[in-house]
Amino acid sequence: MSSAALERQIRPIYDALDTGSNKSAIVACNKVLKKHPNNDLVKALKSLALVRSQKVEESLVLCDEVFAKKPTDDSVLAAMAHVLRALGRFNDIISMWEEAFRQQPGNEEYGAQTFMANVRGSNWKAAQQIATRLYKTFQEDRYLYWSVISAVLQANDPSTPAAMRTILYKLAHRLIESCPTPSVLNTDRFHLHLSICYELKLFDEAQKLLNNEVGKAICANNLSCDDLRRKIIKAQGLVEEEGKRSKELITEKGDRNWLEFLAVLDAAFAPITLPQGGAPSDSQKESATVSIQSAKEVFARVAKLDGRSDRSGLLAILELERRSREHKLSDDPSKLVTLLKQYFETFGDKACCFEDLKPYTDIQGEERQQWIEFLQNVPISFETTEDLQRVINVHKHLRHRLSPSEINVDSEQKRLKAYVSHYEQGLPLGYSLPQTELQPADDLALLAGNAYINLWSLTNDQSHLQAAASFLEYALLKSKHSFLTRLILVRIYRLLGAPSLALEHYRAMQIKQVQHDTLSHLLLSRSSTFSTAPAGDLTYISECLEATQIYLSNSQETSEFISRVFHAEKYSQIPEFIHFEERLENSLQRDSIKIEYLRMRLSHEAILSDLIDMELIELKFVFDRLHYDNRDFDILPEYQPAVSKSLNEQTFLFGKPDGLGWLSIFLKTYIRAFQHASDLDETVEDKLLIGDRPKQTGNFDKALSLHQRLLQRDEAELCELTSEETKLIAFATALADWLEPYHDYARPPPAVVLAEAAKQNELKTGHPLKGIQLPPTNGANGQQKKEEPPAVTEPPATLLKYFEEAKTRFESLKQSGSVVELLQVATLVQEAFLLFNVETLRFKTPSVIKINKFGGLVPSFKSIRTEAVAVLKTISADLLTLSESQTSTDVRNSAVDNCKSVPTTLIDHDFGFVLGKKIVDARKKALEGAGKGLAKTAQQYGTA
Amino acid sequence: MSILRPFKATDLFKFNNINLDLWTETYGLGFYLSYLSRWPDLCCVQEAPSGRMMGYVIGKAEGKSTDWHGHVTAITVAPEYRRLGLARKMMDLLESVSDQVYKGYFVDLYVRCANSIAIGMYEGLGYSVYQRVREYYGSLGQGKGGRDEEDAFDMRKPMSRDSSHRSIRANGRETIVGANDVA
Repeated sequence: MSSAALERQIRPIYDALDTGSNKSAIVACNKVLKKHPNNDLVKALKSLALVRSQKVEESLVLCDEVFAKKPTDDSVLAAMAHVLRALGRFNDIISMWEEAFRQQPGNEEYGAQTFMANVRGSNWKAAQQIATRLYKTFQEDRYLYWSVISAVLQANDPSTPAAMRTILYKLAHRLIESCPTPSVLNTDRFHLHLSICYELKLFDEAQKLLNNEVGKAICANNLSCDDLRRKIIKAQGLVEEEGKRSKELITEKGDRNWLEFLAVLDAAFAPITLPQGGAPSDSQKESATVSIQSAKEVFARVAKLDGRSDRSGLLAILELERRSREHKLSDDPSKLVTLLKQYFETFGDKACCFEDLKPYTDIQGEERQQWIEFLQNVPISFETTEDLQRVINVHKHLRHRLSPSEINVDSEQKRLKAYVSHYEQGLPLGYSLPQTELQPADDLALLAGNAYINLWSLTNDQSHLQAAASFLEYALLKSKHSFLTRLILVRIYRLLGAPSLALEHYRAMQIKQVQHDTLSHLLLSRSSTFSTAPAGDLTYISECLEATQIYLSNSQETSEFISRVFHAEKYSQIPEFIHFEERLENSLQRDSIKIEYLRMRLSHEAILSDLIDMELIELKFVFDRLHYDNRDFDILPEYQPAVSKSLNEQTFLFGKPDGLGWLSIFLKTYIRAFQHASDLDETVEDKLLIGDRPKQTGNFDKALSLHQRLLQRDEAELCELTSEETKLIAFATALADWLEPYHDYARPPPAVVLAEAAKQNELKTGHPLKGIQLPPTNGANGQQKKEEPPAVTEPPATLLKYFEEAKTRFESLKQSGSVVELLQVATLVQEAFLLFNVETLRFKTPSVIKINKFGGLVPSFKSIRTEAVAVLKTISADLLTLSESQTSTDVRNSAVDNCKSVPTTLIDHDFGFVLGKKIVDARKKALEGAGKGLAKTAQQYGTA
Repeated sequence: MSILRPFKATDLFKFNNINLDLWTETYGLGFYLSYLSRWPDLCCVQEAPSGRMMGYVIGKAEGKSTDWHGHVTAITVAPEYRRLGLARKMMDLLESVSDQVYKGYFVDLYVRCANSIAIGMYEGLGYSVYQRVREYYGSLGQGKGGRDEEDAFDMRKPMSRDSSHRSIRANGRETIVGANDVA
């Protein structure tokens, strides 16, 4: 057949792949392969279609076949790159391109692909060498710069020893100097050149670059280069020159970038901020007084000129005063307060006035008194939105600087009344605004929300949370797109044990894309408490899956853009992109969701060894990672007094953050349990693992074995657990310690596990498993145990006690009425029982018990199981009763009363009634779901 | 007083206070990364001294021959920092880079015909309506403003290279084109 005819047959395969019809792609491939059984392209494409249809084993066979032939055809290579990527075999992608480039050294494209493949794997050294080769062969400046940036990236890599850093930078410098065209011809090459000079402290060279006309023009129009210029100036100690330059920009060009003002400030204090430390001499002080005075005059002129159109001048004077005080050079002790007042008088009607002045209001004694009196005397008026904003700023400033003695229930109630009443009075100012606008009075509702939460913190009385919910719901009715109001509501409803209401608000925020990484913690942190997955409700499971889409996009898209940014030669962006990819890939939130998802999954799916093996491998990778915490907590409208706990801390579920420590403890617990239950030991895992092993980036003692690391407990980590979680972990640890020797003894040897895997693989694909050589079994079928089995011991008493005590705690919590605490105890008891089932899975097989002579273990399992099931059933029944009781008139009336208790006529009986009922219903649903779930779990695992 | 600095990829982790806003779209990663990988100098951030992001602008350079111009793709300011002239400063930067670095003939942007406050601001900055684009904001459907709600004004401001002001016209509001004509 002619090549044109073949091409005609291959086209539909591409089309099918492009449209995601993998099945028809496979059919089309088979058709072509019948006539052309040795066509590598079709094989590669079939392999791609297979891996995309999750048929990994079959895909591997074809992939390996083509790979072994060391292809050099560009369409085969492109298809193979996709296959290998899907299989996670990044090292093979590199060697594939390397080999193709070796065979066709004149193929520029293959060289560039080899370079990019190394970039994707962060193999900077190899990347640098290939770029150098590309430059030598093709004489393109671009490749020289690729080799320069690779050297820089290698230097910046955390795994590069400090001593190597300078050597690499020097290499980068030498390379850049060897370029026939000067770096100033391209902004980003210029940026790279400057950054190398900065690292190597080659200031003369840097100045030469900066001071020629082109360099100046670049910095004037490029913020990144200008940033670097500032850094160099600072490192060089040219603070006063820079101050002069900035002063000119401010006064002559009208520049109002705050960085220029900071430069003038730094210059003013330069004579006394000595690099070598120590006290400044009198003459130094004198020259500082002069320069400070001159800066003050500049700022005063700016302030006068700008009036209300720009805040820079006045704020610079404030900052100057703050620094003067720090250096004991202030001539007027009342100056700071005077300036604060002046600032408030000028900009008090701007929303940012609170943020602007916050850093300057930490003052004591007489000064504080003056400032507070000033604020208290600001006229309260609601004539205009400006008046209203001024009232809001007064409240925010006063609240921020409350002293501990001013924070108690009575005073907080009083303030609350003021916020609510001022909200009511300010509301009419927004009547005419379209519904899409925020209301000017919104912040007063947020202040009231803060006050209510503080009241709850002071009294532990949940009625304050209900009242807060009521008022905030009202405010949301008036300001439909106030995301900040929703944020507090999400936290409050979780605390109230009304998760469905929290979910409603969370969904209304329409969190998207990268926001899933930074904001999904609002909903998903400790969300297994609210999951009713065992009863068949997959709401939270699907929320987890949705939130993790972004990590998939990151691994697919970001590396693509990293290649693009190399091609576009935007060197200033390359380290940024790489850092971004890393932070998202190794996000703490990603793996916290993973744990929550796992906990829900175990409660929903049957506990089988397939699930355990898969999760075990993934969790181990997660455990070896360095994590980045990208969660955004600053987004919460934080108006608690500086001396109190923050709103964020106050509203954590169970009052505990779930950060790195929490993640680490849960990872260790589950890895250990899964290790016990799994037949995959390290050697087996190595053989069966498809794709590369990720780099161990975590910051742990590499001398320790995994087993040692799993046993480590660190005080700081334990601090992040609630007391219920601590008990669960203690239970899991005791259980694991007890059963470990039996697992280790009974686990089949690697050869047997591999033989079984090979058998399964052959059944599935018709091919033997590659790379595994099975030792002859000597005809004997059974495993021969060299040692005596470990003696069967009684289970530690703590195991039985855990369930008993949990029941008692649940019993006593019923009186306090905190729904969320009850849910926590219930779901954690269930989790303990599920962990027990994981740990005893191996011993369910009678032959395992028989061969290993573990008959003595069976009665122990039985007694724990019986006890656990009984407790689960009791708690389940209690939860259902509690759920019913939510609908009683008493409970409902009390909720309605709490919702109505807001000191305002805005919230009438109907409003309070509807919301009170909503809260009660949501709690009823949560309790009922948990109750049914526990019953289901008890039933499913009731008998071994 | 705010710091004007380049937009960085990692700013996506901290722009929630700006993007939790009805009118500000949060796009996929590819959107931001493609702008940053091509026109990093047309993307900048205003930041408060505390490090909190206040607003940002994302722009690009596009077009052929005399249509070569700077384009404002997204400009937004967090609610608490509005009415401080931040948008103006970011526009200044984008214009100056479009003019000096890219040597564009003009800078343009799209704005909802109903958004009279923004239109007024852009007019104050020297922009004028070049054409009305029908159903440019199709996704929201017609709101209270009727057609004004979904039609866009394409507003332009000539740069120094267009000394004879050929990139603008007087009767732009009456010149109506379809959304497909402007790509």
